[in-house]
Amino acid sequence: MQTTRSRAARQLLQKSRRGVGARESYRCFSCTAPTQQATPPPKSPQDGPGGTTHFGFETVAEALKEQRVKNVFSSVASSYDSMNDFMSLGIHRLWKDHFVRSLNPGRHPLSTPPSTSTSSPNHQPGWNILDIAGGTGDIAFRMLDHASTTNHDAHTRVTVADINPSMLLEGRKRSLTTPYAHSPRLDFIEANAEDLHMIPSASIDLYTVAFGIRNFTHKDVALREAFRVLKPGGVFACLEFSKVNNPLFDAVYQRWSFGAIPLIGQMVAGDRDSYQYLVESIARFPSQAEFRGMIEDAGFLVPGKGWEDLTGGIAAVHRGVKPL
Amino acid sequence: MPPTRLANSLLGSFRAASRRPAVVYRQTCAYHSYDYAAPPPFPPAESAILSSAYAHVPAHGFTIDALKLGARDAGYLDASTNLLPRGVFDLVNYHLVTQRLALADNVQFPDEAEQGKKMGVGAKVRALTLARLRANEPVVHRWQEALAIMAQPSYIPASLSELASLADEIWFLSGDQSVDSSWYTKRASLSTIYSATEVFMTQDKSPDFIETEQFLDNRLQDLRKVGGFMGALSEWVGYTGHSTVNVLRSKGVPV
Amino acid sequence: MASTILSSRSLARKAARNIQFDFLAPSTISASRQPSRFQSSSPPHDGATLPPKSTPSKTPIHTLTTQQKAFLSSALRVNQTGELAAILIYAAQSPILTRSHPHLRTLMKHMYEQEAGHFAYFNGVLSRHRIRPTAMYPVWYAAASFLGWGTAMMGREAAMACTEAVETEIGTHYNEQVGVLLDWARKCGERGEGLGPELDGLVGELRRIRDEELEHLDHAVENDAKSAKPYELLTEVIRGGCRGAIWVSERV
Repeated sequence: MQTTRSRAARQLLQKSRRGVGARESYRCFSCTAPTQQATPPPKSPQDGPGGTTHFGFETVAEALKEQRVKNVFSSVASSYDSMNDFMSLGIHRLWKDHFVRSLNPGRHPLSTPPSTSTSSPNHQPGWNILDIAGGTGDIAFRMLDHASTTNHDAHTRVTVADINPSMLLEGRKRSLTTPYAHSPRLDFIEANAEDLHMIPSASIDLYTVAFGIRNFTHKDVALREAFRVLKPGGVFACLEFSKVNNPLFDAVYQRWSFGAIPLIGQMVAGDRDSYQYLVESIARFPSQAEFRGMIEDAGFLVPGKGWEDLTGGIAAVHRGVKPL
Repeated sequence: MPPTRLANSLLGSFRAASRRPAVVYRQTCAYHSYDYAAPPPFPPAESAILSSAYAHVPAHGFTIDALKLGARDAGYLDASTNLLPRGVFDLVNYHLVTQRLALADNVQFPDEAEQGKKMGVGAKVRALTLARLRANEPVVHRWQEALAIMAQPSYIPASLSELASLADEIWFLSGDQSVDSSWYTKRASLSTIYSATEVFMTQDKSPDFIETEQFLDNRLQDLRKVGGFMGALSEWVGYTGHSTVNVLRSKGVPV
Repeated sequence: MASTILSSRSLARKAARNIQFDFLAPSTISASRQPSRFQSSSPPHDGATLPPKSTPSKTPIHTLTTQQKAFLSSALRVNQTGELAAILIYAAQSPILTRSHPHLRTLMKHMYEQEAGHFAYFNGVLSRHRIRPTAMYPVWYAAASFLGWGTAMMGREAAMACTEAVETEIGTHYNEQVGVLLDWARKCGERGEGLGPELDGLVGELRRIRDEELEHLDHAVENDAKSAKPYELLTEVIRGGCRGAIWVSERV
């Protein structure tokens, strides 16, 4: 069922690309081009009629990016792990472990003085974590494991939000093998990171987004939304592919990502276009310093220099803290 | 109080309201200006969490628990400790930096003109070093933990640079003005002595740390002996060289 | 050939100086200072009078950026090293030169004393502003003494050529610093800030010291520096050495 769904979506994507390619000399989606798109554009104030954004190296109408990103992730949902393995040379698991360990989620019951925990309504037991674009539950399961085993915290909750039902389905499926499958500590919701109306303001301790933010149409809107839902003192943490620092290593890495990954994607998953998009979206993503600036613009305080490079900058962890 | 410092604090009180840069730089040995007050060593949010956390150090040690309790006391969440990218080392560093900067206010030397007798640079260095060691007293039972954190490979450069800043601060406050090779030897030897005495102090059980004080005095005494010997040696080399040249010149050798 | 190179160089230098005096920092230079640009040497207290009256004391003082602090630290460190080298060169040259040319005694003494004054000034600046001295101190000590002794042994012309080469490099270096500081002053002035009395005073002192160094250069040329035997080779080697030493001292 999964395969037929993803194949259908893939065909849709390819069809729409081909259709426009025939009509126009350059690879650009105008607002009116694909009639196949049934989904109405999201009701975001930035979505002017002529607004365009980037889809990989293509320029597409903003309304379309969301749909096309959805298509990409629908098509790769089942092979999501192998895709990440190619993109990160296989070390994304270590990055995610490090990401979660450094955030140290969960409240150790012994270190909690009973007086403070009962007196202040802000200090409920455990953390309230929102994992955006975490459909497959990679980060969520790690968070819950860390809270339970390292901090002996049985209260920390994770809400997994993803725009893509196929990814959420994959995550639900995987959660069945974890102890959190039917517990109130894990929840899946379908939501757009730019519009989290179902999440009350100032309710979240930790907002994480791992390998997701580069696919957002309006990163600034998503950052402001993150700022809204976080409690004062809450943490925004983002793990994302970034810019390699060493020019020599960068040359090798660019060659690898643009030369090999789409090819491997075609051979392993039979889906060249989705992998091509992923590579291009990584190259498009702002540099560490630029992204730190965007986090600061949304109102966050950034700790230290604002980011931590992983494996020479292939990926980077960005953090921001909402001021009191 | 040296007149420059007085002038600095006066100027500082006038200009406290001026805009301060968000990025805080405390680079060692960079141009130190007296025209405006130095920026605070930590940004406000970090400072609030760290100062509250520091109050929990005697009970909880230099641990993540102390940081979390501090964050809560300051009105932040447990998660807010992510504002400190180096975790517990930031707490140790807070102690090091604040105590170093406190030296200037904590140790006041009597005005030389009033006292009549001049207090030597050596005596001032001793007084300042002792004052800095005494500032470890409230956390001395936790200090071995801190030393272990500072000795972690990724934190060694920062720890050493902070030690160098402390040595520089002590020599500067003692009024030492040498800007030749001895600038380096003075700072290096004081750093060595200070860190050795600091380790000694963590095991000192004597009342009021008398043994630590003696240990420090002995080390400074050794330094004086070595310094005196090196001074005499270089003096001798210089004298012999000059007289050799002069003897040669008097014999008509064209040098 | 050599003299044309020199004159064109000094012309360019003088032109640069005038440009800076006239245009770069109208705000920091009061009108009363303007005529003094034609004097090669200003009185030593000149810098103290520099804080201009046009800037009232309420003008906010510019907070130096990290880069600006780093620039000041390395520039002032180089200045101290340069003056150390200068006094050592003159100290090594004087006994040998004055033995064969007694009429140079007063000139050498005058130049040495000026350099000693500069050295004392920069020593004070370094200790006051907590800038570390160069870590190569003993190396420069030995190199400068040897350079002074070696050129003096080659004769009066070579010694003067050495002075000319060294003072050219040092003068250029001071000139660059004055240029940078005046540029900061101009940019601060645009924002309604001042550099503060410290840096205004420093600009004045740097100017005075630069002019004295260039005066030494003139003295060296008057005393037949250009008739030193391998003039080109000697000056180029010494100037290259000076630039290398400046490069190193800026860093360590």
